[in-house]
Amino acid sequence: MTSSATLTEEKEPFLQPWQFFLLGGMLAATATVIVATGQSPANIIILSITVVAVSFVGLGAYRILSPLVSNQPEQPITIGGRTRVALEREKMLVLRSIKELEFDFAMGKIAQADFDEMSTRLRSRAVRLMKELDAGGGYRELIQKEVAERLSQQGTIRLKPDATLKVEAQGVCEACGTQNDTDAKFCKNCGARL
Amino acid sequence: MASLGASLLLLAFVLAAYTVAASVAGARRRNSRLIESAVGAFYTIAAVMTVVSGVIIYAFVAGDYSIRYVRRYSDSVQPLFYKITSYWGGLDGSVMFWVFLLSVFGAVAVKVNRDRHRELIPYVVAVIAAVEMFFLFLMVIHNNPFTTYLTELPTDGRGLNPLLQNFYMAIHPPMMYLGFVGATIPFAFGMAALFTGHLDDSWLRAVRRWTMFSWFFLSLGLTLGMIWAYEELGWGGYWGWDPVENAGMLPWFTATAFLHSVMVQERRGMLRVWNVTLVIITFLLTIVGTFLTRSGVVQSIHAFGEDPELARYFVAFMVTTTIFCFGWVIYRLPLLKARHELDSWVSKEAAFLANNWILLFSAVFVLFATLFPTITEAINGERLTVGPPFFNRWMVPIGLILLFLTGIGPLLAWRKSTIDNLREQFMWPVLSAIVGGAVPVALGVRVWSSGICFALSAFVAGTLIQEFVRGANVRRGMTGTDLLTAMIGLVSRNKRRYGGYIVHAGIVLIFLGFAGNGFSRSQQLLLKPGEEQIVGNYTIHLDALRVTDDGQKQMITGHVTVKNAKGDVIDQMLPAKWYYRKHEEEPTTEVAIRHSFAEDLYIVMPAFEIEEQTASVEVHINPLVNWVWFGFGILAIGTGIALLPEASLSFAIAKVPAEAVTATMLLLSILLSSGAAFAQHVETGQDPRLQLVSPKAREVAHKLACWCGGCSRLPVGQCSCGHCANERNIIDGMLKQGMSEDQIVDAYVVKYGGNQILSEPPNSGSGRVVWAMPIVAGLGGLLTVAYLAMRWSHRAPAPALPGGVEDPEMAARLDDELRDLD
Repeated sequence: MTSSATLTEEKEPFLQPWQFFLLGGMLAATATVIVATGQSPANIIILSITVVAVSFVGLGAYRILSPLVSNQPEQPITIGGRTRVALEREKMLVLRSIKELEFDFAMGKIAQADFDEMSTRLRSRAVRLMKELDAGGGYRELIQKEVAERLSQQGTIRLKPDATLKVEAQGVCEACGTQNDTDAKFCKNCGARL
Repeated sequence: MASLGASLLLLAFVLAAYTVAASVAGARRRNSRLIESAVGAFYTIAAVMTVVSGVIIYAFVAGDYSIRYVRRYSDSVQPLFYKITSYWGGLDGSVMFWVFLLSVFGAVAVKVNRDRHRELIPYVVAVIAAVEMFFLFLMVIHNNPFTTYLTELPTDGRGLNPLLQNFYMAIHPPMMYLGFVGATIPFAFGMAALFTGHLDDSWLRAVRRWTMFSWFFLSLGLTLGMIWAYEELGWGGYWGWDPVENAGMLPWFTATAFLHSVMVQERRGMLRVWNVTLVIITFLLTIVGTFLTRSGVVQSIHAFGEDPELARYFVAFMVTTTIFCFGWVIYRLPLLKARHELDSWVSKEAAFLANNWILLFSAVFVLFATLFPTITEAINGERLTVGPPFFNRWMVPIGLILLFLTGIGPLLAWRKSTIDNLREQFMWPVLSAIVGGAVPVALGVRVWSSGICFALSAFVAGTLIQEFVRGANVRRGMTGTDLLTAMIGLVSRNKRRYGGYIVHAGIVLIFLGFAGNGFSRSQQLLLKPGEEQIVGNYTIHLDALRVTDDGQKQMITGHVTVKNAKGDVIDQMLPAKWYYRKHEEEPTTEVAIRHSFAEDLYIVMPAFEIEEQTASVEVHINPLVNWVWFGFGILAIGTGIALLPEASLSFAIAKVPAEAVTATMLLLSILLSSGAAFAQHVETGQDPRLQLVSPKAREVAHKLACWCGGCSRLPVGQCSCGHCANERNIIDGMLKQGMSEDQIVDAYVVKYGGNQILSEPPNSGSGRVVWAMPIVAGLGGLLTVAYLAMRWSHRAPAPALPGGVEDPEMAARLDDELRDLD
């Protein structure tokens, strides 16, 4: 009963689901307070809190069921972009290390010779990472953008998800449909040749 | 109501099972709808657990004594506050409370990290739900808090144990559980990283805060436990190495180790396997902790016989989890490989390795010593006691080593420190250590262990002040502001580092309090009204012994006037004994404490004779105790600063985190406002005869453990229960008959039919194992660390890149980025 009620609510976004359930909970709590008149205040407070919590159980039930019955197209989870993130993370790490090294040096914790050596090493690593980011990262972003565009186009023509995936054949396994890295030769899930 | 609660628990179990199945299936098939639904179910568990908690609290408050659990832990005359806290007064409710906290915590953690760690979330949800499943299973199958009476319905409950009817004891378990539960979140993220193979540092970022959070609550829980023991148990101390306290200490050690070693991974990319392992161990230890805290396996030597089924479930869960987790670690070893390089032994990395070794050793040692009596009894039936003297023998030096590492860690640089740096860095701290150690020793403090503790505390304090001042000076040079702004900027730019230093300052204060323990004094007095006696700088005058009743209990109170050395009255103190209704055979000892920053005056009245109007009064003078609690307040402030979000601007630092202030204020106000705090110690057995005991008898009694059952094997010389007072009288008598110390101890071993009466296990037979273990474990750990360090330091250094080949354009960009980073 509750889920059908909220589905209608959802069509015209007058109330968000959580607002609906919270409101329901409040009303039920008010009703509880009226019914429980005569009991000690502590009892009534605990009862009302419990009743409001029940409304959250209802909200939870809605959240369990609604994704299962929704007719919105399923969005594949994008795992891409990790290498770029990893590179950026590593760069940040190296930059922070340089900062800390400079700070420690200024505080007199490191000898000049050591500082020079470590600083050179770290700086050259940072530069290498920056070059890598300049070179590799951009392409990947472009590819992702294009893939996203194509996918959304396919979505409007309402092709079967399998078909959309075949159009964007690069890196997608034909056997199991797993999205692999663009330069992969074998599927990382089932091992089939791509 | 009971059936409602029981069916809700069942519902929660089903939801947890659904969550695990749906999220794993969703993640494997990349089905976002299934994952959405699983996350929804995960939130629903939290809602259902809230409802169940509401139901049981309502049952307590409304007095539904048809539920066994309610009848057992409450009664109608109990104040409302204790009715609510009775929720976690016993095993079944604690387990439920545990699941409740975990579900709420988990929901918050998932909500916060949903977008940032999208790939990990399905598995995080699955792991937390699996842990919840185990506990829900326990409740549904074995420990259902909603079990009812089938036939006769009782009209009133039996009442909560008087010992637990105390403010600290009521809030201590929730804090401890928050710490325990908080450790499950890092575990879930660690496991998710293992499952997905995303083992770079991103999962660490998600869990760092949660670990700190959990660590903070563990510290708070332990501190509250100490305050409780100090104000309740009436033996004048606060840490008795009680199995339950140890249970909270174990994950604290490993969580501390993790918080330090995580820095090595962040900065240097080393120790990846180790960090995952530490997270898993911490989680397993919290499960052990929960188990030990409430099941009574260790407290009562026969507990295995009492509830072997529960023990079996727990052991099965632990073994399965251990095999499963470490199986995954081994499976993912190739991904966890990192290039380890240790440039020098005199570096932060090496200091962190030492720190981890010591902390892990502490955890292993405490775990082993706590479980040892249970193990020996299970194996060969021999009963032994591992009492506080044994723990102190090892943990005092270990604590001092840790304190020492706290001092040197910040002074060392990553990679390596040279002789010149060392000289410059260590000069002031070492000087302050010498002064800090020499002055107390010159004033008559013993060198071991208080003198050393003072010296090391001064050393660490010197280090911290130097770090702050030098850091601020450097920053002032860089930014051109005044010293104070530079100091604030320093802290706000690197909150974790300087927040951590503030935590260290708190630790130093706590250690000062521990050092004060080394010269506390105690004296037993026999007084009639109108009589007085001098103890230290105080004159203790007994005014009267009064009997009163408040409906819930009968109270016998000693009215004591305390005068200072000049003879001025400084305080009225009221040590008492309380006899609760339905618990008359277990009177509680109410301690009266006069707090001050220099020392506490702590008065207990373990025995009295109302007809003869005579009271036996124990007076303890405990120097520096309050610094332990104060140090915790500083620690809380430091943790709060470290927890501040990275993005908070420098002005935010001027606002001290609210939680820390509240915690400090709460602790201090409670402690310092009330001259006479009420405290209790439940006793069994008859009231002792009133008799003065010679110091020598107390010394002998220190070698024996108390077996009254109420306290946790404190030495007879320390315990304040009636049983021990009697035993001390007997020992005194034996001494007067001319028996030697060894003869008396032997007589006790014969009388109790075994070595369990000794507070330290004998260094023979199976007792030898517990003596050998710390040496073996310590050496083993040391050798492992040394071996790894050697291997890492022998690696060929990365080929040095010739300097000056830097592309000037790139160099300029790098400098720009570095400037922006500040």
